[in-house]
Amino acid sequence: MSALASEACAGAVPIDCAGEQLLLHHDRAVYWPRRRMLLVADVHLGKEWTFGRAGLAVPGGVTESDLQRLGRLLAQFGADELVVLGDFTHAPPGEADRWLDAIAAWLDEVDAAVSIVAGNHDRPATRQRMDPRIRWFAEPRPEPPFVLQHEPAPDGRGYGLGGHLHPAVRLRTGADRLRLPVFWFRDDHAVLPAFGTFTGGQNIRPAPGDRVFAVGPDAVVAL
Amino acid sequence: MSENVTGSVTGDFDARLRAWFDERGWRLFDFQREARDAYLAGESGLIHSPTGSGKSLAAWLGPLAEAAAAGGADGGPRVLWITPLRALAVDTRENLAQAAAALGSDWRVEVRSGDTSQSVRARQRRRPPEALVTTPESLSVLLSYADGPSWFRRLHCVVVDEWHELLGTKRGVQLELCLARLRSIAPGLRTWGLSATLANLAEARDVLLGPGAAGRLVRGQSPKTVRIRSLLPETLERFPWAGHLGIRLLPAVVEAIESKGSTLLFTNTRSQAELWFQGLVDARPDWVGRIALHHGSIDRKLRQRIEDGLRAGELRCVVCTSSLDLGVDFSPVDQVMQVGSPKGVARLLQRAGRSGHQPGAVSEVLCVPTHAFELVEIAAARRAAEQGRIEARRPLVRSLDVLAQHLVTVALGGGFEAAAMRAEVGRSHAFAGITDTEWGWVMDFVTRGGQALQGYPQYRRVEAVDGRYRVTDRGIGQRHRMGIGTIASDTAMNIRWLTGGSLGTIEESFVSRLERGDRFLFAGRLVELARVRDMTAYVRRAKKGRRTVPRWQGGRMPLSTELADSVLEVLEAARSGADEPAEVTAVADLLELQRRWSRLPVPDELLVEVTRSREGVSLFCYPFAGRLVHEGLATLLAWRLSRQTPATFTLSANDYGLELLSREEPAIDEERLAGLFAPGDLEADLLACMNTSEIAKRRFRDIARIAGLVFQGYPGRGKSTRQIQASSGLIFDVLERYDSDNLLLDQARREVLESQLETRRMRETLAAIGDKRIVIERPERLTPLAFPLWAERLQSQIMSSESWRERVERMAASLERAAMRRRKSA
Repeated sequence: MSALASEACAGAVPIDCAGEQLLLHHDRAVYWPRRRMLLVADVHLGKEWTFGRAGLAVPGGVTESDLQRLGRLLAQFGADELVVLGDFTHAPPGEADRWLDAIAAWLDEVDAAVSIVAGNHDRPATRQRMDPRIRWFAEPRPEPPFVLQHEPAPDGRGYGLGGHLHPAVRLRTGADRLRLPVFWFRDDHAVLPAFGTFTGGQNIRPAPGDRVFAVGPDAVVAL
Repeated sequence: MSENVTGSVTGDFDARLRAWFDERGWRLFDFQREARDAYLAGESGLIHSPTGSGKSLAAWLGPLAEAAAAGGADGGPRVLWITPLRALAVDTRENLAQAAAALGSDWRVEVRSGDTSQSVRARQRRRPPEALVTTPESLSVLLSYADGPSWFRRLHCVVVDEWHELLGTKRGVQLELCLARLRSIAPGLRTWGLSATLANLAEARDVLLGPGAAGRLVRGQSPKTVRIRSLLPETLERFPWAGHLGIRLLPAVVEAIESKGSTLLFTNTRSQAELWFQGLVDARPDWVGRIALHHGSIDRKLRQRIEDGLRAGELRCVVCTSSLDLGVDFSPVDQVMQVGSPKGVARLLQRAGRSGHQPGAVSEVLCVPTHAFELVEIAAARRAAEQGRIEARRPLVRSLDVLAQHLVTVALGGGFEAAAMRAEVGRSHAFAGITDTEWGWVMDFVTRGGQALQGYPQYRRVEAVDGRYRVTDRGIGQRHRMGIGTIASDTAMNIRWLTGGSLGTIEESFVSRLERGDRFLFAGRLVELARVRDMTAYVRRAKKGRRTVPRWQGGRMPLSTELADSVLEVLEAARSGADEPAEVTAVADLLELQRRWSRLPVPDELLVEVTRSREGVSLFCYPFAGRLVHEGLATLLAWRLSRQTPATFTLSANDYGLELLSREEPAIDEERLAGLFAPGDLEADLLACMNTSEIAKRRFRDIARIAGLVFQGYPGRGKSTRQIQASSGLIFDVLERYDSDNLLLDQARREVLESQLETRRMRETLAAIGDKRIVIERPERLTPLAFPLWAERLQSQIMSSESWRERVERMAASLERAAMRRRKSA
């Protein structure tokens, strides 16, 4: 902990999970201090390009700005490795799409190793054209005591950390309503909120005993 | 044109017309003759007259007479007949075809709507009928075909039926653009509108005909005498003050239905219609098969059967919503009933017109109040109707989402040249005042996706090919045509039996709130949601049990200004003893309570009540300006108050007033309240306080869909397009962040101000408050006027100057309390 920049700690909520300490950051990321590993899920890079190709005018710049967010988090925590828990990309790039170049340029700047546990959106066609500096894992990757996965599921080898669901909750008191992305820690696995700016969410139903942390613009709050 | 009509042919036509009318026992009205002659003289115009008074024929005689004179037709439709509801198209066609045949015309009259089969469409394109009945959306689709322009080249006349229904809506704007297009394709085109009575008829005509075009206003039959009566409950004891569905008057309603041969029972919302239908079936199981339910979500074939049954006199009662407000000359029913407040004078008169259809007969409507104050509204509607004060419909302008859609439509339909298109668009009322910036932005949006999208080399919707803007990508064209039809409402999902067979359509926003196994009433049946797949909700029959009634959007109309003003006048007249209608006598006890505990609202005072309760301090104000204005005023007041002292307010509003609930009493007196109600910089203040609300985002749903920013998928082909599906809310967030100058965001805010918050009416209300004396009362308990607001609070909003974190922590704390209660009770 002492090695961490103080501003990074300020926003993050420490929790105990499978005997390890994890930090939950409001920019929708988890930091694992002992392994100096930053974990995010469902980045969906290039999604606005896919929309643009189909004649849907979503503004550009989402991919670049999400990469910047990743870079900032890596620097703040001083992480050695970034692991993306699937759906790093949204769809295979079109011929004239330039977001793969944006990823390559970003890798030039980044100090940490980048690896990806492939998600259902990370098609083979995308992987083939991706910068070779990125390491791909086709299957869930054990990192005891955790198993890094995309689709959240109990895994006999350890406590699962995954994404895929884009979990969110709807809160209300009286007439006040909010819908927020959440970190969802269950009995034997956890689900991270979607990292990408251009991603939606789906409401979850936590069971008794689940720990749920809501993500706001500047803080993580335990529910 | 009239000089082309030779004497002998006109003579023939007139002789046939006389014979047909004699046979029917009709006579040609002056207004029908006036409209026909004006048409033959080459004029355009608007015919206004109550429902069922022969407007359609007035507009139809001219083209038929002209055709009789001119002889054989070929190559494309001569008359385009636009109807706002596709459910009306079939009946309209029959009426027109019948008249044409009776008058010796060999014209084919056909329907073209979303329901028309592929084979019929293909035949119509090869061999166009002389007259085509269609909807604004289908017209748009026709114009999107490459041969659209040549197909319409010989068009002589467009008739827009029920123009008052389209005026003031985006569908109306879409139609204005299509009319401008048709006038470019077929110079000399005459446009005739048919409208119910409106306060701003000349404006309605000018919008339809386009700026600068001259046109005639043909006044139809003078309105029928309308008698407005109330079903008075025998006792007001336990009669709800607020918000309930008023099914307790059911026995009296059953009795009234029994006393007449046929009844139309109008309700204001589809959910009310479902409940009343169920109530009637439960009360009179022997009526099953002879009562029916009719609303816009019910399957077309079913609706058609109901309309046929009504015409054939087989049905005793049809429970319906605004779906039966329009068109269709059914043989008149014996009785019209209205459940709940009509909310507007014109609407009540139109519904009343469904009875006593014969020209000259008296129309009567029996109103069924669902809570006590609605009795006063009924009396107020009668007062306003007697004085001839009815509502206006204001046209929309500068709906850039509709323009974007239309430009893509025209680019598909043969393409356009920028300068000519700009001039054509400027010949519609909605875009007569479009600025260079706006035009440039929309062009940029459809060609390059807007400023922020310039980085996408592959983005193309509309492309310039040799100076002509076209759509070249087939997929984009296909998706665009699918999107044209969705302008009207929330995404509609099909609702089908698991075992097969369609029940109708239902708003996606309703289905998304349901879980599997949830039960709800639909089309008069209790059903259970089995699964949702590919834009279809599959249901099965459910056994009796707890249920949810679908709550459709758009059901809740605000009280019109005319009616609200009239309510205050009725109260004043009763107070001064000048006039006390039976409805006011019936609620005299309630009004007396209001007077004793606080005071009665009157036209020259603004009544404010401050009441303490367990929950805190409530500030009630009663401007009587309609729910939408009160919602806006509540937000504005809360914002202005919370800027003085940080606080959280719970807001609620209804047609009479608004409530601000807070933990501490806000520091107010008459003078400070007057300051808070000062117009000030109203729009800036509203925009500032709206940043903390979600209204603009909700408004953006329609805009994103119309402008083609979201794609909803093909029915039954959900998967293939999943990668390009995103919610409009998500698009809104992304635009705000990466393209904040996007004019569609601007439009969302403008629409919130104009339509959602009715800023214009709000400004008038604030000005009116400035002239009133503010009176603060401190009643010890909720008064009859306050109670409905208190009861409505469930649907209310929060306006807070607390931080996000404080809000979430407060909500989390209340979650815990609720969980503890659950554990204790378990």
